Amino acid sequence: MNNHEYIKNILDSEKIGAVNISAPYRDELYVTVTGADFGKVCSLLHKRLDSAVMTFFAEDMRARSGSFTVYCAFLSVQARSWIFVRQDVPGENPEFVSIAKDIYSAALFERETNEMFGITPLGNPDIRSLRLHDEVWPRGFYPLRKDFVPPAGKSADGAQYQFRRVEGEGIFEVPVGPVHAGIIGPGHFRFSAAGEPVINLEIRLGWTHRGIEKLLEGKDHAEAVNIVERISGDTAFGYSLAFCNSVEKMLGPEIPVRAQVLRVLYLELERLYNHANDMGGIALDVGFSFPAQFASLIKESILRLNENLSGSRYLKGINIVGGVEKDIDKAKSAVIDEALTKIEKDILALEDMLFSSISFMDRVDATGILRTQTARDLGITGVAARASGIGLDLRKAFPDIYGVFSFAAAKEHRGDVASRFKVRCFETKESISLIHQSLKKLDGCGPQLKIAVLPKEGTALGSAEAWRGPVLVWTRLGAGGKIERCKITDPSFRNWEGLSYAVLGNIIPDFPLCNKSFDLSYPGNDL
Amino acid sequence: MTTLSGIIFIIGKAFLLALAAPFVSGIIRKTKNCMRMRRGQGLFQFYFDIRKLFSKDEVISKNVSWIFFAAPAVVFTASVLALLMILMVQPGSFTSDGMAILIAVFFVFGLARFFLALAGLDAGSSFGGMGSSREMFISSFAEPAIFITAFVLCVSGGNSFKVSNLLALFSVSMAVIAETSRIPVDNKETHLELTMIHEAMVLEYSGRSLALIELASHIKQIVFFTILSWYIFTPQVPGIYAWAIFPAKIAAISIIVAFVEISLAKMRLFRAVDFLSFSFFIALVASIAASLGL
Repeated sequence: MNNHEYIKNILDSEKIGAVNISAPYRDELYVTVTGADFGKVCSLLHKRLDSAVMTFFAEDMRARSGSFTVYCAFLSVQARSWIFVRQDVPGENPEFVSIAKDIYSAALFERETNEMFGITPLGNPDIRSLRLHDEVWPRGFYPLRKDFVPPAGKSADGAQYQFRRVEGEGIFEVPVGPVHAGIIGPGHFRFSAAGEPVINLEIRLGWTHRGIEKLLEGKDHAEAVNIVERISGDTAFGYSLAFCNSVEKMLGPEIPVRAQVLRVLYLELERLYNHANDMGGIALDVGFSFPAQFASLIKESILRLNENLSGSRYLKGINIVGGVEKDIDKAKSAVIDEALTKIEKDILALEDMLFSSISFMDRVDATGILRTQTARDLGITGVAARASGIGLDLRKAFPDIYGVFSFAAAKEHRGDVASRFKVRCFETKESISLIHQSLKKLDGCGPQLKIAVLPKEGTALGSAEAWRGPVLVWTRLGAGGKIERCKITDPSFRNWEGLSYAVLGNIIPDFPLCNKSFDLSYPGNDL
Repeated sequence: MTTLSGIIFIIGKAFLLALAAPFVSGIIRKTKNCMRMRRGQGLFQFYFDIRKLFSKDEVISKNVSWIFFAAPAVVFTASVLALLMILMVQPGSFTSDGMAILIAVFFVFGLARFFLALAGLDAGSSFGGMGSSREMFISSFAEPAIFITAFVLCVSGGNSFKVSNLLALFSVSMAVIAETSRIPVDNKETHLELTMIHEAMVLEYSGRSLALIELASHIKQIVFFTILSWYIFTPQVPGIYAWAIFPAKIAAISIIVAFVEISLAKMRLFRAVDFLSFSFFIALVASIAASLGL
C-alpha cells in the first residue's frame, strides 16, 4: 500500500472524500482541502498518525492565485512520509478557523502566522505577538507578505505585552532577563512563585529576531546556505544540511555517496561537541566545577578537530547544494580516528565521574519532569522528547544514508533532567560509533564530492535530525531558482514551552538546571 | 590583657588578620583552579578587585531607603568588631568568658546579616528578596550548631584527642561551610542569580559599598576559620607556638574547603536543611560527650 492509498483510507474512514491528494515526492504528500474541512482533516490525521503538528506555515500566493495558502504538516512514521494539509485563505481579510483547540501543538504556529502574515486564526485564544514586540512594532505591518513595506519608525501606541497573571496569597512574580549574567541568548522569564516552588513560568522570546525568513526571499540557494548556517550558531551544519536536503530534493540530482557519508560524519561531530558541552553545562549549573571543566576540554578538542578537518570550528562552509566542499582524505581520517579514541575515553571518564557522584545524581534525579503526555500535546521534539518517552528520531524515521549504519535511537521515560542527561550520554556514544563507521565507509566511496545542479521551480521539505532535534526547512523556489518562501522550523520553537511546563512545581533555584538540560536555542526560535 | 599594650597587641593582630583575609579567599580559589586544570587568577586578585571597586562609581536604585546606605557600613563594622572580639579569646584557656565572647560574636554577625537581608529587600528587586529569604532560612539552621559547638569548645579546650572535640569539629566545619557560603550549601562562583543565596542579596551593590561588603565577607571567613582552627590541636601547641602554627592551620583549612568545593555538587536548596540539621545533631552529641568529660 503506498502513501497515497494509506492516507486516502484514513480520510475515507471519516467520509472525507472530496479532497485532492498529490504526492510530489516519495516522502511528501499534500492534501488540499477547503477551509471548512481543514480542521476536521487535521484532527483526523493528528489522531490517526499519532503525530503532533510538525510544522505549520502560510505562504503569500496573492500574486498567483489571489489568496494565501496555509499548510499544516504531520509526520507519518509508518508511511515514512510528511503529510501536508493545505487550504487557501482569501487575500482580503484573511482568516481561518483555528485548529489549536483540538491540536495544541499548532497553537504557537498559529500565533506566528497571525503575526507574520496577518492571517487571523479564529478561535485561538492567544494571538499575542511572539517576535515583533508590540512595544516597538507598529500594528498592521506583516513582514512575510510580499507587499510588505517596513514601518517608518517604532510604535508609539504604548502597547504592552500581557503576561499570564497568577494571583493569590503569597504569590509573587520574579522577572528575569532578557539580559542575563552569562554569555547566553536573551530571553525573558516570568516566574510566578509561592515561596520557592514555581507555580507558573511564562517565557517571552523574540529578542534576536533578525527576519531570517524574509531575508531568504529572493536569494539563490548558494547565498541562502550562508544565511541558513547562521540561524543558530551551534547548529550550523544541521541547518545547512536541512536546507540542502530541501533544495536537492526539488532539483533532483542524486548526491554522491561520498558526500552523503561525509554529511553523516559532520552532523555527528556537531552532535558530539554540543552534547559534550551540555554534559558540562549541566554539571556547571549544579556547581560541580571539576567535571564541567573537564567537559569543556573535551568540547574544545572536538572544536579543534572540526577546524582541522574543515577550517571552521563550528562546521560552517561545508555544505553546498549538490554535495560538500570539504573532503576527508586518508591523513585526516587517521587524525579523526586518533582524536576520537581520546575523546571517547574522556567522555566515558566524564560520565563515570558524574554518575558515580551522589551529590550530582541527587540534583538531576526527578528534577524538571516533562511528562510524556505533556510532551506529546506540546509537540516536543528532539532530545527533550526522547527523554520523555517519545522515540522520534528522524535518522530512524527517514533513514536514507543512515540506513547503512548501525546505531540505536536513544529513549528514556522519566522525562527528568537525569533522563535528558542520559539521552545525551547515549547519543554521544552512538555518534562516536557512527563517525567510526563513516570513516570506514569513506574508503569504499568514489572520489566525487559534489554534483552540479540546475535551478528549477518547485517546493520541498528538507529535514535533518540535528543535535537538538529535527530541523525542518520548507522551500519554494521560483523563477530563476530564487527563493520565494522558506519556512524554518527549529526544535526550540516548541520545546521552550516544554521547559515552561517542566519547571512547574520545581523550586526557582533549580530552573537554570532544567533550562540547561533542554539547552534550547534563542536565535533558532526567534529567527 | 587589659593593659594598653594588650589592646595594641590585639589591634595589631586584627589588622594583620584583616589584611590577610582576602589572601585566604585567594588560596581557596587558586587551589580550586589548580585542581580544575586551570591557571586562574593570582593569589592577590581579591586585593586588586577591592581596590578597583573602591575607585568605582556606584549605581543606586531610586527606590532605596537609608537601610541600603547603612548596610555596608554596618556589615563591615560588624565583621571588624567580631574579629577584634575573637582575638580577646585566649586559645588554650577557654573559660566561660571565652564562651560569652563567642556568643557575642555570633550575635554581631547576626546583626550584620539582619541589615544585609533588609538591604536585599530594600531595592525591591526580585533577586534581592529571594537572596534575603534564603539567607535567613539557611542561617536559622546553621546558627544553633555553631552556638552548641562553642560550648563544647570551652569544655574540651580544643583538645583533638577528645571525642567531644572531634564531633564538635565535624559539626562546626559543616556550619562554617554554610556561613561562608561555600559549596555544597551556596556557590560563590556562580553567575546564575536564581541559584544564589548570599550573593543574591548584594546584587544591587556596586563600587565602594560592594568593596566594603566583599571585604567584610573575607573578614567573616577568616573569623570563622580562626574559630575552626581552635578545635585543632590547641592544647598540644601551647603559647607562643600557637601563633606560629596558626597560618599553617588556616592554610590547611582553606585547602580542605577548596577540596570539598571541587568534589561536590551544590545541594538542592532544601537539602541544606538536612545537611545543617545533621550538623546540629552532631553538635548535640558532642555537647553530651563534653558534659560526660569525654
